[in-house]
Amino acid sequence: MSLEPNYAPDEAGWECGNCHRPLEQGKVQACYLDAAFDVLLPRCPVCGLTMIPKSLAEGKMVEVEALVEEK
Amino acid sequence: MHFDQQHLHETEARCTQESPPQCRQACPFSLDVRAFMQHCAKGDFGQARRLLERNLPLPDVMGLICDHPCETACLRRDLGGSCAIGDLERFCLAHLPVQSRPLPMPPKRFSIAVLGAGLAGLAAVWNLSRNGYPVTCLHGGERTSALLARHPQLAGAKAVGDVFEALDRAGVKFAESSLDEASLAQAMESFDGVLLDADATTLAPRFKDVDAATLLWRDKCCAAGWLETTPTGHRYASASRQANEGRIAAQTLERVVAKVSLTASRGDTFGPLHIDISGIAPAPRIEPGPEGFTPDTARKEAERCLECQCLACVKACAYLRKYQGYPKVYTRQISNNASIVKGHHQANPLIEGCCLCGKCTELCPENFSMADLCLMAREDMVARAYDPPSAHEFAIEDMESACGPESFLSQPDPSGRQRWLLFPGCQLAASRGAQVLALLRHLRKGLPGDGVGLLLSCCGVPAKWAGRPNLHARMGKRLAEAVAAQGNPVVLAACASCMESLRQHLPGTEVRSVWETIRDMPLPEGARTGLPKSLWVRDPCSARHDAAWLDSVRTLARKAGVDVEDSPSAGRTTGCCGYGGLVWCVDPELADSIAEDGLPPDLAPEKRGEPDARPVLASCIMCRDRLVAEGVPALHLLDLLFPGTGAASARERGPGLSARRAGRIALRRAALDGSDVPAPLAGVPGLDVDAALLARLEERHILLEDVAETVQAVDAAGRYFVNSVTGHRLGSSRPRRVTFWVEYSPKDGGFTVHDAWCHRMVIPGCGSDAGQPWNRQEDAP
Ligand code: SF4
Ligand code: SF4
Ligand code: SF4
Ligand SMILES: [Zn+2]
Repeated sequence: MSLEPNYAPDEAGWECGNCHRPLEQGKVQACYLDAAFDVLLPRCPVCGLTMIPKSLAEGKMVEVEALVEEK
Repeated sequence: MHFDQQHLHETEARCTQESPPQCRQACPFSLDVRAFMQHCAKGDFGQARRLLERNLPLPDVMGLICDHPCETACLRRDLGGSCAIGDLERFCLAHLPVQSRPLPMPPKRFSIAVLGAGLAGLAAVWNLSRNGYPVTCLHGGERTSALLARHPQLAGAKAVGDVFEALDRAGVKFAESSLDEASLAQAMESFDGVLLDADATTLAPRFKDVDAATLLWRDKCCAAGWLETTPTGHRYASASRQANEGRIAAQTLERVVAKVSLTASRGDTFGPLHIDISGIAPAPRIEPGPEGFTPDTARKEAERCLECQCLACVKACAYLRKYQGYPKVYTRQISNNASIVKGHHQANPLIEGCCLCGKCTELCPENFSMADLCLMAREDMVARAYDPPSAHEFAIEDMESACGPESFLSQPDPSGRQRWLLFPGCQLAASRGAQVLALLRHLRKGLPGDGVGLLLSCCGVPAKWAGRPNLHARMGKRLAEAVAAQGNPVVLAACASCMESLRQHLPGTEVRSVWETIRDMPLPEGARTGLPKSLWVRDPCSARHDAAWLDSVRTLARKAGVDVEDSPSAGRTTGCCGYGGLVWCVDPELADSIAEDGLPPDLAPEKRGEPDARPVLASCIMCRDRLVAEGVPALHLLDLLFPGTGAASARERGPGLSARRAGRIALRRAALDGSDVPAPLAGVPGLDVDAALLARLEERHILLEDVAETVQAVDAAGRYFVNSVTGHRLGSSRPRRVTFWVEYSPKDGGFTVHDAWCHRMVIPGCGSDAGQPWNRQEDAP
């Protein structure tokens, strides 16, 4: 079980509302119960605000959450 | 209740779906006749023949002379005539060559003598030689003569020669013998086991002198193959019995030489297979004709087999159908699930999918309870902390909100008298606040001087359904205190599940259905126009054993001038609407299919939309609202009693999740200040969410209050992304074990919501508690 490594935003045009910088893909660790996954997500390079695109939340993440719960 | 392997074994044994059908039980060789017939019906005669070769001794001979007791037992008997099992066996044997080779068995060192080559003797020779024993068969005269003398229909049959050839190939020694006491004595001397064929020698004892179960006569000597006697004294040979005796005696000898128990675990024990043949149309038996069956007629005849099975519960329950097994199999899967330490708990969805309604128990001739099994399994999962946290969390939060300060209310009768207490239940309160108050007024008017209090709360049953008995008990304690503070009145429940749950919480208090109490009162005033002339009654699953509930619903409907007829989901065998057991929360799609079970044919999906479709009458608000959500017209009993206070029509949908919460809060306020309950409030001021989006959010269990809190928190802190093309903002918060994302735009001092989603994973840099990985400790009860 794994999260694929890289998820871009669902639409173009997003930037940090605070720092007004375009987002960059950054590596973060997603955790659920006793499991952890490395994944690249859109992130503000300045303040670190990180985005979970809807397609990820309602797609792969649901699957992985369910698998972790069955462990 | 206890969830241990012993208990699970007993549970598993209760379901007799795997017991053999009548035909197989009647077959001395336990031939899987049903599978044989299925192969024939598919035209797969090779597979069919293989089964015969596996089970029958001397299959080619046996097929020709078997007196097929299976046919006498066949359930098709009175529905056009028993299936022609014997003729079909003959067809397969004649039509195809041998299909399987005997498995080479390691040779055994124990030698066996069989005295007499009758059918029993030869059957024993067959089985013993296949199992690797060196066998010597002593026969008087020609080696075929005893068999042919007793079964003259074998004369000239090629099968006889074939069978002896096969035995020769297997190394069986045949030797002519005088078959007298001397040869017996010598055999006893030189062999490890001896078998006497009672139909081909004069040496065998009478049947009553051997052990009936093992056919052991004395020492290492068995006998087999006696003739049968009819009540009129006529003696005849039953081929199936003779061959079976040969088989049994051979088995005994194997145990004798191995020096193991002659009786331990011999013969299967199983409960009866229950088969409902009502409603099956007769179909006449197809006779083979003088030339025997053709492949075509054989297939047609085999198609008459009913494939006898029980599945009484499975046919009636969408949940049991979904996992393609039956309770016996499910018990094994659940039991395996419980014993997994590390690895996938694959049966979790199976355990969470049962509505716990108890319909299966009513239908099962063995009273199998899938509900007890699944509930125990859930309790085990929670107790040992391997329950999937997402399964019931939303439902438990909803329960907590329904008992929380904004929704809970314990309000004694203003007079101070304390005879009765109305407990509407959190879902009726959520959906039908105005009717709850109308009902309360009606009770107070009809029971003057008694005092009728009100208790608004959830009964706690979701905790029980989630496998959390401790939480359920805590809920019960709180309710018991509230009821005691009102002077322990008789509790009048308007929800059948509450009734059940409260009876458990309040053992010393009378809890009954409110319908029973108002049944004998005059009907509430007010015009009853526009009600349907007649309705299908669908009873709530938790009320199945409450005769007063069932009767009161019908009586009240008739009093209101409505004709009622029982739908298939009525009385003791009624089913769930999919709300029970929290299935609506865990597996909404399954919950919908469960609601579809037990609808009358004229409310089938393609017909229910017709304007004159006869609506369902429910006495549980979840049944009513869930059916309407499926497009089924339905009314609640209160709609007949207090017209104009509830649903405007049998098609008006009940409120969604967010509106239900708002409805409870509004009812509490109205009960406190004596005002009217406002019409369901479907929004949060300052938050613009269109209906289609709201529906999608509810499917994902995202409440408007979650959305509102997220937008407020995100916008106030400026922690959002902004889209340079659309101008939308996007931010997240994590108020509990879920992170909510909302895409929105500010509008006129409020916000327009464009979309929202959620997840349970924790990711640093988003949600309100960024960087804090969530772990199980948070879940500790
Ligand atoms: S109908 Fe088929 S399965 Fe049932 S008893 Fe007859 S042969 Fe056996
Ligand atoms: S949903 Fe009801 S009928 Fe189906 S298995 Fe569960 S308790 Fe039995
Ligand atoms: S009704 Fe269901 S549980 Fe009962 S014996 Fe039949 S298949 Fe098994
Ligand atoms: Zn930033």
